[in-house]
Amino acid sequence: MADPDFSTFPLIKKGNRFQDFEDGQVFEHHWGRTLTEADNALFTTSTLRFTPLYYNSEYAKTHGHHTVVVDPLLVLCTVVGLSVEDLSESGGPFLGVNNVTFHQPVYPGDTITARSEVINRRESGSRPTFGIVTWKTSGFNQHDDLVLSYERTNLVAKRKERSDTESQGETSEETAS
Amino acid sequence: MSLTASTSYFEDFAAGQKMRHARGSTVEEVESQLLTKLVMNTADGHFNEHKMKATPFGQRLVFGLVTGSTVIGLATQDTAENALAELGLDKLRFRAPVFLGDTLTAYTEVLETRESEQPDAGVVRFKHWGVKQDGTIVFEGEREVLIKRRSHWIEP
Repeated sequence: MADPDFSTFPLIKKGNRFQDFEDGQVFEHHWGRTLTEADNALFTTSTLRFTPLYYNSEYAKTHGHHTVVVDPLLVLCTVVGLSVEDLSESGGPFLGVNNVTFHQPVYPGDTITARSEVINRRESGSRPTFGIVTWKTSGFNQHDDLVLSYERTNLVAKRKERSDTESQGETSEETAS
Repeated sequence: MSLTASTSYFEDFAAGQKMRHARGSTVEEVESQLLTKLVMNTADGHFNEHKMKATPFGQRLVFGLVTGSTVIGLATQDTAENALAELGLDKLRFRAPVFLGDTLTAYTEVLETRESEQPDAGVVRFKHWGVKQDGTIVFEGEREVLIKRRSHWIEP
């Protein structure tokens, strides 16, 4: 039997384009993520995060915690990561992240989920094929306690208007962060 | 003998203080690809070399928050070894692309020190910069840390 013609296989597209965002729109992001002690040890060591609270459980116990604290930068990276497919996968770099607040500690075994709301969208003055979108994103633990919030702004690629280019699979000149 | 240095308590920081952190870190597969995937970032511009070859970048980009975490990491021993908590970050800017093989170093200035609501610690606001091997600033951002007071935590 001949191999199939893969060019006839439809692309399962991921991500949203500038036209897909509306003011006030809310995204409940996919998956969630249980952050383990292994995740925390890998992250804190590979980024040289030399604060003993994050990797010495005996030290953490003498500072009011029952075990190590998950590095808040790992929590931030994970919440951003969970939001990427909905918000920024389809192309466009980070313009900035503001007002990151770590509301309470996260511990190994906690499960993090993420939610975002579109708080601003506008055209890019210098780049007509992109728009600029700002989201307010929140991270929660398994008790639905707010553990993290921030505002993120990205350049977001626009969907091309001609359908014949769409069918070829869009490749933007920039890629997501 | 103690687990943390005696030189990084709240009292050791003053507005205007500048620090060039001693170590650099080259961003390779572990820092870029593994951490990007560890944190569920699905954007394959960070881990699809052949797709990225066809773009003006010509190669995979490092996830901005891997860059930011690495830069803050390089500054962490000197700024948060005696932290009770990191309170927040602000004005994070990703000023230039970072590629695998780039080496990051970190610079810090103390913007402000202030009292906290708890008597055993104070808040220090830092500004951090990340610079790559050719001198390009690739990252900047502000960060607030709640740091133990020597007066409370070290026996006289």
